[in-house]
Amino acid sequence: MARRDPVPFTLAGARAGARAITAFAASTVLYGLAFGVLADQAGLDLTAALMMSALVNSGSAQIVALQIWAEPIPLVALLIAIFGMNARYLLMGAALRPWFARLSRPRAYGSLFFMGDANWLQAMGEWAAGRRDGAFLVGGGLALYAAWLGGTLLGHRLGRAIGAPEAWGLDFLLVAFCASMAVSLWRGRGDLWPLVAAAASAIAVHWALPGPWYILAGGLAGSLTAAWRHEPVA
Amino acid sequence: MSPSPDLLIAFLAMGLVTYVCRAAGFFAMGWVRLTPRVEAWLQAIPLAVVVAILAPAAASGRPPELLGILAAFIARQLSGNDFAGVGAGVAAVAVARYLLA
Repeated sequence: MARRDPVPFTLAGARAGARAITAFAASTVLYGLAFGVLADQAGLDLTAALMMSALVNSGSAQIVALQIWAEPIPLVALLIAIFGMNARYLLMGAALRPWFARLSRPRAYGSLFFMGDANWLQAMGEWAAGRRDGAFLVGGGLALYAAWLGGTLLGHRLGRAIGAPEAWGLDFLLVAFCASMAVSLWRGRGDLWPLVAAAASAIAVHWALPGPWYILAGGLAGSLTAAWRHEPVA
Repeated sequence: MSPSPDLLIAFLAMGLVTYVCRAAGFFAMGWVRLTPRVEAWLQAIPLAVVVAILAPAAASGRPPELLGILAAFIARQLSGNDFAGVGAGVAAVAVARYLLA
């Protein structure tokens, strides 16, 4: 493969990423709050809850982990559940290859620790808009990380006074974000068949399997349809 | 106070599995030649992922979810801002769940 030109990785890019994610990060605090409450109920002390959030940094996976938490710790079941929750990141990381291959390895692999759904989607929007600053992803990711840790702390402290997060529509947050992003990412009629393939496979797998495998299945089916239909330019 | 070694090992292992998910797709693509077709595949991933997250909620047929998705679409179209869409969607779901519960 030909070596490609390096892309910038600047503080300004990181700031832009953090700014772009602010509103979403506010809701990540609430999500962290829910995790903190659940961690308290599962018998984790504050240090343990914060440590889990700092090392794993994955909201949905941590909440599922708490649901199977027990003494002694069922490690194999936990790791399988975490893999199931996070397998979609495999596809998201692959999509970053053309961009992040032009960064140094420490920058690329360091940024990937902070890759979540929202900042990845926004970064892909940046890339599609022709902006190339690689620090955009980690800027948004650090904002989300701070929000996640802050929420975990608050939730654990405030404890049970908070109630179920479903009642606030928070579980719907990512869906609403995706509805908005679908409008931003739509490029034209060429996207129709990939969209149909993604939707059909996601609905089928969602019906057949527990957990978020449907995201990976729909993401793969839709994007492979696009590759299959791709017309090579002569 | 510090967590027990068991707890620390469990958290480290969970963190490692998560990080491998985040890094392995990027790493593996290092061995794939980025032909135009592969680039077309990678470029199509974001929309496909977004649609995959949306579709089961839309297909559930539950009125609050349908209203929320519709509100998010409309607010995003009118405002040109992603977070206006998110706010409108979540607000519509919360209100609809409250009223329809």
